[in-house]
Amino acid sequence: MMNYMPEMTFNVDHGYLEGLLRGFKSGILRQNDYLNLVQCETLEDLKLHLQSTDYGNFLANEPSPLTVSVIDDKLKEKLVVEFQHLRNQCVEPLSTFLDYITYSYMIDNIILLITGILHQRPINELIPKCHPLGSFEQMEAIHIASTPAELYNAVLVDTPIAPYFLDCISEQDLDEMNIEIIRNTLYKAYLEDFHSFCRELGGATAEAMCEALAFEADRRAFIITINSFGTELTKEDRAKLYPRCGDLYPYGLQLLAKADDYDQVRQVADIYGHYKELFEGSGTGPGEKTLEDKFFEQEVNFMKNSFMQQFQFGVFYAYVKLKEQENRNIIWIAECVAQRHRAKIDSYIPIF
Amino acid sequence: MTLCQLFLQSEAAYACVSELGELGLVQFRDLNPDVNAFQRKFVNEVRRCDEMERKLRFLEKEIKKDGIPMLDTGDNPDAPVPREMIDLEATFEKLENEMKEVNGNTEALKRNYLELTELKHILRKTQTFFEEAEIHHVQAMHDPSLTEENFGLLGEEQSHRAGQALRLGFVAGVIVREKIPAFERMLWRVCRGNVFLRQAEIDTPLEDPVTGDQVNKSVFIIFFQGEQLKSRVKKICEGFRATLYPCPETPAERREMAIGVMTRIEDLNTVLGQTQDHRHRVLVAAARNIKIWFIKVRKIKAIYYTLNMLNLDVTQKCLIAECWCPVQDLDRIQQALRRGTERSGSSVPSILNRMKTKEVPPTYNRNNKFTQGFQNIIDAYGISTYQEVNPAPWAIISFPFLFAVMFGDFGHGFIMFLVGLYLVTREKQLQAQKINNEIFDMFFGGRYIILLMGFFSMYTGLIYNDIFSKSVKLFDSSWDPHDPQTNLRYTAGTLNGSVSLTLDPNVSFIKGGPYPFGLDPVWALSSNKITALNSFKMKLSVIFGVSQMALGVVLSIVNHRFFNRKLDIYCGFIPQVIFLISIFGYLVCEIFIKWIIFTVKDAPTAPNLLIGLIQMFLFQTEEKNIWYSGQRGFQAFLVVLAGICVPWMWLIKPLYQRHQQKHGQYKYQQVPTGNLLDDSEGEEVVYHSDSERSHYDPEPEEFDFGEAFTHQSIHTIEYCLGCVSHTASYLRLWALSLAHAQLSEVLWNMVMRIALQIDGYGGAFLLAAVFSFWACATVVVLILMEGLSAFLHTLRLHWVEFNSKFYDGQGYKFHPFSFDDLSEYSIED
Repeated sequence: MMNYMPEMTFNVDHGYLEGLLRGFKSGILRQNDYLNLVQCETLEDLKLHLQSTDYGNFLANEPSPLTVSVIDDKLKEKLVVEFQHLRNQCVEPLSTFLDYITYSYMIDNIILLITGILHQRPINELIPKCHPLGSFEQMEAIHIASTPAELYNAVLVDTPIAPYFLDCISEQDLDEMNIEIIRNTLYKAYLEDFHSFCRELGGATAEAMCEALAFEADRRAFIITINSFGTELTKEDRAKLYPRCGDLYPYGLQLLAKADDYDQVRQVADIYGHYKELFEGSGTGPGEKTLEDKFFEQEVNFMKNSFMQQFQFGVFYAYVKLKEQENRNIIWIAECVAQRHRAKIDSYIPIF
Repeated sequence: MTLCQLFLQSEAAYACVSELGELGLVQFRDLNPDVNAFQRKFVNEVRRCDEMERKLRFLEKEIKKDGIPMLDTGDNPDAPVPREMIDLEATFEKLENEMKEVNGNTEALKRNYLELTELKHILRKTQTFFEEAEIHHVQAMHDPSLTEENFGLLGEEQSHRAGQALRLGFVAGVIVREKIPAFERMLWRVCRGNVFLRQAEIDTPLEDPVTGDQVNKSVFIIFFQGEQLKSRVKKICEGFRATLYPCPETPAERREMAIGVMTRIEDLNTVLGQTQDHRHRVLVAAARNIKIWFIKVRKIKAIYYTLNMLNLDVTQKCLIAECWCPVQDLDRIQQALRRGTERSGSSVPSILNRMKTKEVPPTYNRNNKFTQGFQNIIDAYGISTYQEVNPAPWAIISFPFLFAVMFGDFGHGFIMFLVGLYLVTREKQLQAQKINNEIFDMFFGGRYIILLMGFFSMYTGLIYNDIFSKSVKLFDSSWDPHDPQTNLRYTAGTLNGSVSLTLDPNVSFIKGGPYPFGLDPVWALSSNKITALNSFKMKLSVIFGVSQMALGVVLSIVNHRFFNRKLDIYCGFIPQVIFLISIFGYLVCEIFIKWIIFTVKDAPTAPNLLIGLIQMFLFQTEEKNIWYSGQRGFQAFLVVLAGICVPWMWLIKPLYQRHQQKHGQYKYQQVPTGNLLDDSEGEEVVYHSDSERSHYDPEPEEFDFGEAFTHQSIHTIEYCLGCVSHTASYLRLWALSLAHAQLSEVLWNMVMRIALQIDGYGGAFLLAAVFSFWACATVVVLILMEGLSAFLHTLRLHWVEFNSKFYDGQGYKFHPFSFDDLSEYSIED
């Protein structure tokens, strides 16, 4: 019974959290709020306006003068508090699902740390820059590793992302190129694993999440290809980095692997209707949106749609992603305000 | 209630608004709804207040951390003048800086102290490690197998180590206890088992200098060989935020160091004590004033917040406010404005103008502490439409009374009365205590309701003759037991010898006249008590229900006349009254007549009311239910009359309105301020801007026949079905009262009675135990739970059955700008 109709018993275990989450979701800033925010003259104005939104008094105890980094920290803190609350209240399989969400932050943190160490930055300086959602116990001892194998054996073996790392152990040493390769390999393994986990969950969760993760996978494939032009990365190596759980798999990925320049990537995208639009609407000229922003916009749309369906975990993923986009937006606006550089202040990505 | 326009001189505005805030009779309207919070005029002042509040919160947090009591004198200082704001800011700034400095110093000292304590522990614990190592060293010489066992983990490395013990390097440090397993595991992995870790827990938790939390830590010592391992170990220690301390190798050096550390700790302790004293002094001084500062700052903030809602005149000389205020209090408002103007030393007086408006004013019911509770009950259903009849005054009596009908027990009522009395007599003390408990607040807010409910329950309890489910004999019973056959008085012998005896009212009810007050106690002994009481209580319920509904319908005419809705009187009120009276009014009359004219002797032939009512609708009254000649005809007339009322209520109003509209006479009738505008004639009407004004005044809606017809249909169906179902609904009065009486009787019979039947000393002890159980159950189940249930049912009877007859409840509440309620302007508290 349970397996055939997960919707019937969904609320027994996860109903409260889903309700809570939908409540959180209604606190996401709306177009109106953004219109007000971009009118701000100073960061104090920004604070005053955010006070009237769901953020409430989250900056009330910060002494003036306010800085963008303080706002950033507080925004992150709020998301983390909400997320941790959900994580602490939930039961299987939602708890594993939420853990999966944090893995991507862990990957980012590891990459950030090893890049920092490569550039001889002291570890104490790097730790505060890590995203608190992806922090883990062994994180701070990461600088003892000088090769990927060491990294795996000493630090990562106890973490949940250890299995993703198996493909990278063969790399010889940590240089900038290799770190990028490690990042993308990890991400590939992570996305594929997450994808299969969601597919096993089945039901509405699988529908919503597989779509979202497929999009994420394809986005990475495109970005990897575009970024690889003009670097030493060989085509074979590049092909290994493509996550194989998206719509592009397998045919599109084969084409992408052969691509030599931006136009060829574009030709690949033309085969797929929804990506074609993104490439067509983007550009680097003034007034045009970058491909990255286009992808973000598309992601926001995806995430918003996932709220249309009940009894599935996609909303949790979507909320984190939307909130992250919102944080990016607020920080963008705050930066523009702080640097008095208002020309591009409007290029935030509205959510609702 | 009237809309007023205030012209305040810019320099006097602050003082005037402050005076109005103390008065608390004026509701300001936001005249700049389109302006962002940060684009308003006094945003800087609001921001400064925010900043001051932040500093105060910081101070409050520090005070609470030290556990210093904050003096709450209950003083209510006036809002300070703007000049004083600068002083306050300076004071807070100074205090905050001082606090921060002290905190910084304390933190540094504490860190130092922590380091020294950790070092002390390291020296103490490592001592044992080294001693053990020596013992093992000696043992290892004698008994290699023992070493093997103890250091099995290290395998053959151990013998290697034992041989060259002196060449091993080591580091010692302190680490948070939770991290030890991961720490150990990583050490093992990174160094491939080539290090040896010993750890010991520090028994006393240490204080974290930054957060002040107590943290459990452990001392560890790691032995290793070679420089490369050393650097790795150090890196891992750094990664796990372990603090490393130098630890001398020889016991003598260690002892020496320990002594040095101890003296330094003692020195530090005195310095720390002094810093703490200083901090304490500063905080105690601040604690004395902090509540007053909070009030002052919040008042300033509230004033600027309000000033932000005002409009600036073109000449920048004065501020224009629009506000709602009660007409009766205009004089006091004028006075307050004069005071404000005087205080600010401005020469030009502030001007108050009344304005005419079509907008519906907020509803303001003046309440005292007694009526407030009842008004809250009504407001919870809906704030009355402006100037509509307020059901609260009727609720003051009907609410506790209907409650008491369901809760009728003298004993339970008395306890409830005492609780209410306690809350009422101690209300000042209880208010001063500021108990922030939601449940207590609920009871305290309804203290007068509880008092009255208890009192009325005592009354109904006497009527039902129920005291903790027992009856008392206040007067002599009107019954005198006689044998129905022989018509002789029962003797004591017959009474004792038989289980049950029948009392025939024809022979036993001979004393003449009923029992003087309430229920005859003899019923408590009878086996058909419930049947008799049911009949009585059901009839009572119907009577109370129909009377309350009739009152509701009658109240609706007051509304109709006040708002000048003639059509509603002719097509609403009149048919409604006829409908109600012709069916249920007739039933109530029948009840009374049946009580009066049918005596014991007619009992077998008495008509049945319920059957009679049903047959009345079917136009086929049985012979048995005929009381008087012409009854069939009269009843048929009543039913037809009620039948006619239905299309009357339903069709005439919408049809008439359509007719009017076709002939161009239709006027929108629903403007509730209909005849209010008369008394505000001849006054100057100044709108600050006509264009902005337009969206405030909605145009009268176009008449739409379909909508009106649907609305009227719903209304009619609701009323007609409502009359029937609501009358039935009032039977809950009987049902709950029955349930309450039965429950308390069961409790007595099952609990107290058993204990009372046991003789001897054992019985006494048992009685004491059983009584406490019975008393608890009485309070918890019968008074609290049953009381709550009866309360909710009463609430429903008022909200649904009574209010639906006349009460619109479409208004919005008057929220005057007042300093009494400062929480609105503060983020916390």
